Amino acid sequence: MSRAIFWVSTVLALLFLVVPLALVMPLAFNGSSFLTYPMEGFSLKWFEEVFTEGNWVRAFGNSLKVALGTTAVALVIGGLAATGLMLTGRWLQIVLTGLFVSPMIVPSIVIGVAFAYSFGRMGLSGSYAGLVLSHSILAAPLVFLSILTSLRGLDPDLDLAAASLGASRGQRFRHVTLPLAAPGFAAGALFAFTTSFDEVVVALFVASPDSLTLPVALFAGLRDRLQPTLVVVALLLSLISFAFLWLMARLQRLNAPQKP
Amino acid sequence: MSAATRKPGGGRLVALILLTVPLAVYAFLYLMPIGSVLSLSLDNGALGESLSHIRAADPADRDAQAAALIADMQAMEPGRQAEVARELNQEMSGFRTLFLKTARASDGIEPTLAGLVVADPRWGEEKYWQVIRQNAAPITWRHYQRATGLVVDDDGRITAGGDDIYLQIMGRTLVIAVQVTLVTLLISYPLAYAVANAPRRLAAFVLVAVLLSFWTSILVRTTAWVILLQTAGLVNTFLIWTGLVDEPVQLIFNRFGAIVAMTHVLLPFAIIPMMNVMRTIPKSQVDASRSLGAGPVESFLRVYFPQTLRGVGVGGGTVFILALGFYITPALTGGPKDQMLSFYIADFVKRALNWGMASALSVLLLAMVLALVALFGLVRWLSARQGGRA
Repeated sequence: MSRAIFWVSTVLALLFLVVPLALVMPLAFNGSSFLTYPMEGFSLKWFEEVFTEGNWVRAFGNSLKVALGTTAVALVIGGLAATGLMLTGRWLQIVLTGLFVSPMIVPSIVIGVAFAYSFGRMGLSGSYAGLVLSHSILAAPLVFLSILTSLRGLDPDLDLAAASLGASRGQRFRHVTLPLAAPGFAAGALFAFTTSFDEVVVALFVASPDSLTLPVALFAGLRDRLQPTLVVVALLLSLISFAFLWLMARLQRLNAPQKP
Repeated sequence: MSAATRKPGGGRLVALILLTVPLAVYAFLYLMPIGSVLSLSLDNGALGESLSHIRAADPADRDAQAAALIADMQAMEPGRQAEVARELNQEMSGFRTLFLKTARASDGIEPTLAGLVVADPRWGEEKYWQVIRQNAAPITWRHYQRATGLVVDDDGRITAGGDDIYLQIMGRTLVIAVQVTLVTLLISYPLAYAVANAPRRLAAFVLVAVLLSFWTSILVRTTAWVILLQTAGLVNTFLIWTGLVDEPVQLIFNRFGAIVAMTHVLLPFAIIPMMNVMRTIPKSQVDASRSLGAGPVESFLRVYFPQTLRGVGVGGGTVFILALGFYITPALTGGPKDQMLSFYIADFVKRALNWGMASALSVLLLAMVLALVALFGLVRWLSARQGGRA
């Protein structure tokens, strides 16, 4: 009886989790423009339409540029914050951690309003710099946390050993700490890239029609008219996410042997 | 213990240098924008700056006020006049025409109350003067008054006499967040349980499904639901094919669609913390309880379930906080009666260009979220203290 409850509830919940995406994604290859089954033949024409339409291609390019810029800026902010934090006292660490992590709690709509207004006054609204900076604030907490976790996991004796051999603080950081914490930096970079690449709400407030990112274009498309091209874009976005999940899993496997 | 803590002086200097950049970025690009939302919600904008003569005039002397109003009008550029008229019109409809008509003729109006009444008889009515006086200050509570439906009457008493539409929306936001949290927890629990306790193959499969779902963007998963639930969509095609219904059922742009899509999108945020807690519970405990004569249900309810409550709390809390401020999924799958606070914030910015109201509602949303975070922190602290004593 209890086994039956376990199996039925697990299977139903699993179906709810998996089936919607599994059902919708094949419609990207549908021969007709109806978004339902049965499919009328296999076709790549919607892919062709996405890859040849200027708007989608431009949005994809914008997303890529913004995500790469965000990765760089968020790595610097999060990396400096995490390494600096490790050198401060206990109470300051608690306060600063709260500050550096807090953008994760603030609803993105509030951050969107804040940036839309402030960037408007600074003359940054609609610009590439505005998008990169706003996404960097959203991504920095994730970079900060993943680097902080890997720095805290390091064996402090290694640092002491290097110091006893006469290495200066800078040398120890470059030759001991940084190589050991590299997986944390890499994971932070992956988090930053996906955060920016998938972000909708803040970009909706900050982007202009010229600097539209892919998710914003998809959001606008969904509000406008449902077409198979939207499924194609959704499929491409999820393939990119899966690639990043795979990279992340590889990274964890690389990192694993170092842990005692 | 790192070398830095042994040499505190040098360590602190390096920490200061390293932290300067992130602290400056956070201050200028995060704290200041959030702060500007707070000040915008109280800022009286064009009104506060433009009605300076009115502010200085004696509120009891009607003629002095009339003269001050005319002086203020004459000091404004036509563009500013239009902006002030628009903002006054948000307070009381009909004010735009009254203000612009009077302002245009202001050079020829005698600077007394009688002169204004000759120009337009509406100036004889006290309600217009009340609006003008209330909005002459540089700081205003009117956005919060409109958001909460509270009104300040002439004697300065606060009464709940206003339009309570935004209070209703806040209530609806809380109700939807509670509904979504409950459904999410109900569906997450068996999945988290399966990852922690099912046979290895099934556990691995569920874990991969959860992680794939977690990494797929919220917008992509919402897209799937929009396509599934539309009138001519998969679910309706299936229902008609099986003969369960004769014509398409409305599944989207209502509460059902919003809750189904939001639940699906937020599932991983509940599953992951629950799963992490369940993995730490030794299997031998339930075995021990069974060997002592408890049935499977009793073992689960009295031995296993109470230990998972911490994970349920963290997962449920995360989902609730995310649901409160959710924008894209309810905006794409809910109907007009299912829109949450975030929708109206975006609407005020994008369509009505009313920054004051958008900011006031943002501040209220942020306050709700911060209050909840503080509450969760308190509960965790209290339970950790109790756990330490036991």
